[in-house]
Amino acid sequence: MTLLLGALTLGLILSLLAMGVYVSFRIFSIPDITTDGSITLGAAVAAVLLVGGTSPILATAAGALAGAVAGALAGVIHTRFKINALLAGILVMTALYSVNLHVMGRSNVPLLQANTFATQGERLGQALFGAGPLHVLGWPVTPGDLAVLALAFLAAVAAGVTLYLFFRTDVGTAMRATGDNPQMVRALGADVDRYTILGLALSNGLVALSGALLAQYQGFADAQMGIGMIVWGLASVIIGEALTGSRSLGLALAGAVLGSVLFRLLVAVALRWGLNPNDLKLITALFVFSALVLPRLLARRRGGAPAA
Amino acid sequence: MLELQGLRQTFNPGTVNEVRALQGVDLTLDEGSFIVVLGTNGSGKSTLLNAVAGSFFLDEGRIRLDGHDVTRWPEHRRASLIGRVFQNPFSGTAPGMSIAENFALAARRGRPRGLGWALAPDLMGALRERVAGLRMGLEDRLDNAIGSLSGGQRQALTLLMATWLRPRLLLLDEHTAALDPKSADQVISLSDEVIRRDGLTTLMVTHSMAQAVAYGDRIIMMHRGRVVHDFRGAEKRRLRQEDLIDRFDEIRRREQLDEGAAAMLRELYV
Repeated sequence: MTLLLGALTLGLILSLLAMGVYVSFRIFSIPDITTDGSITLGAAVAAVLLVGGTSPILATAAGALAGAVAGALAGVIHTRFKINALLAGILVMTALYSVNLHVMGRSNVPLLQANTFATQGERLGQALFGAGPLHVLGWPVTPGDLAVLALAFLAAVAAGVTLYLFFRTDVGTAMRATGDNPQMVRALGADVDRYTILGLALSNGLVALSGALLAQYQGFADAQMGIGMIVWGLASVIIGEALTGSRSLGLALAGAVLGSVLFRLLVAVALRWGLNPNDLKLITALFVFSALVLPRLLARRRGGAPAA
Repeated sequence: MLELQGLRQTFNPGTVNEVRALQGVDLTLDEGSFIVVLGTNGSGKSTLLNAVAGSFFLDEGRIRLDGHDVTRWPEHRRASLIGRVFQNPFSGTAPGMSIAENFALAARRGRPRGLGWALAPDLMGALRERVAGLRMGLEDRLDNAIGSLSGGQRQALTLLMATWLRPRLLLLDEHTAALDPKSADQVISLSDEVIRRDGLTTLMVTHSMAQAVAYGDRIIMMHRGRVVHDFRGAEKRRLRQEDLIDRFDEIRRREQLDEGAAAMLRELYV
């Protein structure tokens, strides 16, 4: 049960990452690898501030803001300096590795003594339900874990709803159209470069927010924690699309959250069954590869069948 | 209204692909006039339209529009004055978004975009009414993705979007060339209707001599990056398709003569 609860919480926290990747990858069609750097940046900034005694809310917001700045930077490099989007992301991600080490002052910042959302959640849980284990469907659960799960759920829902509402405003609609048809957006008087920069800032802000929460949940920030995160985000988005079978905005966002949770559950089960944790990223990469290629192969087979 | 002075543009200068697309174009459009730009492939007519729209910055020349010198304005800034319909029906609309959302974008052309609700109720009401006016039955499908519509429907909607806020200048770039004949007729007569109703200053590029003769109040004929003829007033009204074809043949013959004469002179004197 602890395993299931952990996977759910982690999935919900990383659903913010998935929504961020949805914004860059599905709305702007940019596989933005800045993600790998900005999730660590969010974690690093939040961790350092938390150790210094800043309140969790401020520290988390600062982490998200730092990620948004990193994303905007990648956007500026891509649009104003006409550098390929993937390369712009690689540049910022690489630079962020050094930045993150500087922010943290070493490669790992533990949060054992700090006051974080996780410790606050646990205290809240104990205040509400007492210290003893609760029984949910006959399984023993600590109130602290349950409260942290509830907080993660609230964060995911709040981010999802805010994002959905934002994308239905004038700015958000123009942003979505920028990814859909930049020529039309220009002809309708919107600055495509500006919206791309804004979009990447939004995406990486969400990713860094996810990183800041992740650091508090796992109890440390680490310089290596961002490696491969973009692929995890992609996997969540793709699973979400398979689940909801839709690219409409609301369902796609809900799908990203569901996809992230399901992905973490699958990972937890696989690890429980003895999957070597070192193989996790290889398998995730293979999964995303096949998810991207399979639809095309199937379509070709279907299209080619009558001729054969 | 629109004033073009000495427009020059060369693409890929100094390479084998050098194209002298515009070689000194001067043109003045009066308020409310509907000008048809006619020309062969590569005559520079689409380049002229793109220069006005701001798709690129000119090598030389000045563009004044509605009292502003817009020569150095980027495309999105000029869009506050210009409505535009492209040749490709896919260019003017965002396929993944609904009809209503596309119009929400058009309703803020050249205006600041904030955190206001894109699909405001008053917009939806006006939209349903105007789209019903197209008589295409699209008013009940405003929530459908625009990508699911036919080329003709998309072009008609693009026209409606371009003129939703009255533009100071309307640019139509062979906007019926990619459509089947029936849709092309529908879209061109709709264009004429909107232009007349709102008194829009219009620059329309076309391949079609029939359209050039039937619509507009002035014809500019372009060839090799220059304006070679300007039919207006009574001359434009009297003009028949045969006259235009004759004129093109004449240009072509004169050119062959030039080349033949040059070859002869070379043989004699070089």
